[in-house]
Amino acid sequence: MFEEFLEDIAQKNGLRGVNTYLKLATGLGAIILCLLSTSYFSPLFIALILTGSILVLARVDAKTYAGLFIVPFWFALFSVAGIILVSGGQEVFWRWDPFSWLSLSITRESINFGFLVFCRVMGGMSAMCFIALTTPMTDIFIVLRQCRIPEVVIDLAMIIYRTIFIIVDQVKQIYNAQVMRLGYSTFLESIHSFASMCGAVFIASWDAGEDLIRAMNARCYDGKFALLGETRPVEYLPLFAVMVFLSLSSLVVILSKDMTII
Amino acid sequence: MSSIILEARDIRYRYPRSMEAIRGISFHIRKGEKIALVGPNGAGKSTLLMMFNGMIRPDTGIILFDNQPVRYDTASLRTLRKRVGFVLQNPDRQIIAPTVYQDVAFGPTNLGYPETEVREAVTLALRHVGLEGFERRPPHQLSGGEKKRVAIAGVLAMDPDVLVFDEPTGGLDPSGSEDIMELLDELNLEGKTVIISTHDVELAYPWADRAILLLAGTILREDVPEVAFGNPEFVRTAHLSLPTLLELYIELQKRGFPLPEKKPLTVLDMMHIIEPLFQTTCCHTGTGTITVCNVDKDRQELLSAWLLARPKIPVGAMGTRAKQCASNEHIPLDFTYGVIDKCILKALLGEDTLILTTESMVERVYTRVDAYVTESGIHITVNPLAPGTGRAKKESGRQP
Repeated sequence: MFEEFLEDIAQKNGLRGVNTYLKLATGLGAIILCLLSTSYFSPLFIALILTGSILVLARVDAKTYAGLFIVPFWFALFSVAGIILVSGGQEVFWRWDPFSWLSLSITRESINFGFLVFCRVMGGMSAMCFIALTTPMTDIFIVLRQCRIPEVVIDLAMIIYRTIFIIVDQVKQIYNAQVMRLGYSTFLESIHSFASMCGAVFIASWDAGEDLIRAMNARCYDGKFALLGETRPVEYLPLFAVMVFLSLSSLVVILSKDMTII
Repeated sequence: MSSIILEARDIRYRYPRSMEAIRGISFHIRKGEKIALVGPNGAGKSTLLMMFNGMIRPDTGIILFDNQPVRYDTASLRTLRKRVGFVLQNPDRQIIAPTVYQDVAFGPTNLGYPETEVREAVTLALRHVGLEGFERRPPHQLSGGEKKRVAIAGVLAMDPDVLVFDEPTGGLDPSGSEDIMELLDELNLEGKTVIISTHDVELAYPWADRAILLLAGTILREDVPEVAFGNPEFVRTAHLSLPTLLELYIELQKRGFPLPEKKPLTVLDMMHIIEPLFQTTCCHTGTGTITVCNVDKDRQELLSAWLLARPKIPVGAMGTRAKQCASNEHIPLDFTYGVIDKCILKALLGEDTLILTTESMVERVYTRVDAYVTESGIHITVNPLAPGTGRAKKESGRQP
């Protein structure tokens, strides 16, 4: 359970020193381009480049990175299977009408569309991973403040961020204590153990909340939260790389707009 | 003598729906002092500490800071909390912000310092605790000792006059504890008054200028550590243990060695005391007898009668059931830990002792005494309380 957080990887990744805006522009730009593209090729192209930069530039362990794709991969696979069967088209390869109101078919158009959706998911995932693995939350808080998000929201987000780790730590301890005393051994026992863990964590969190108020008061809390103000400067090389990536991807989107798999 | 910075006058406090936690405490703390509040769990140490920066308001009595009674309106509390920094026992509960920099900057920012001053205060505080370069790290990635340092830096950044630490070494490894204690010394040398609460006697003994022994919400003793911890009676009443060095000193004293008046605070002091003793020789009188009572087998009446016949005999208890038995029978215990060794020490002084113990631990008494006897060549007799309940009676050791 909870061996490593994405956040921990992000804190130590090779692109930590790059300006946050550049990284966000890369990730968000890639997501938008994936959504705009009408062919399967450009999302794959984006996924390939981003994966390469995550593995090579950010020096994220390949196994960890692959692990992140397991759940979305299967999710996308099943969704796409559904899309292919349900959506119709002109050139029918296979057709089955189990009921009068339901007809399943595989057509050239549905395969093309399904594959496009699948590639978009993969492209989007790699862009999301790029942001998650290279930009720690602490850097995003600075961007949020510079974007004039209300201070209350940011302060709350920061306290929540800080508290998550404390609560997860508590969950870990309670979970281990339960396992050591043979909790989770049978299905019913698991339900029971989980419920009592939730109760214990709730009480512990409540306690932690009261302590938080005390800790803040002890340090003269007056509604202000310090923020590590400066972001790292924009350097020419990363800026150039991001511009090349985004324009190249846009070009691919435009050039490959009519490309289909079959 | 420097002036008084904190003073309590007959303060009392009761938590809602519970026992009185502080029952009439008065004391004062001078500027630049190192004070250790020592007491067992639930003695009221933390409650008392929380009063120093106005987190808890006493029900009756007053607390004075810098000779002014503490007032509890928001503005006064802010001033007080700026000057009295409080470091909680659990740094996880004290660190609020997602990065080290933000957390240390929390106090100064809320005090309304301009940005450059905040930055300066943070840099200074982090340098103080030796965490330069940790600014951007999130607290959950730090080790226990580092977290503690961040918590301390967060308080130092407000530049308080008094620093209050609740269990400063709680949960730290020995070297981490030593580092923290050294940091406290350093802060003290810079003129800050440092107050710690602890139940670690070994830690407080060499460190503190003055120790305040708390028990059940009252002050049991308030003095320099040599005196405060020097009385075994008090220390036992406070559910604490004697510092090893003091215990050694007292044992030497009992054996009639000529010792200097000043009690040892450090190993160096102790060596200074011991070295001249090698020239003199110890004069052994006859040894005492250790009697073993097996509380699982021996009858209560027998024990009571035996004790009645020997008033003032030192009694030790080993094992939970034995201690329970002693408290049921209202037998005052002289030793509750390291019992066998303490009884051997007594026997060497020629005094008889009684050990209350449980079935499973009887054998251990014999084994330990046998081992000592073989090693030292001094004869000590161990007897069961009722014949036939101990080990098959056997003369332990040989005559010297």
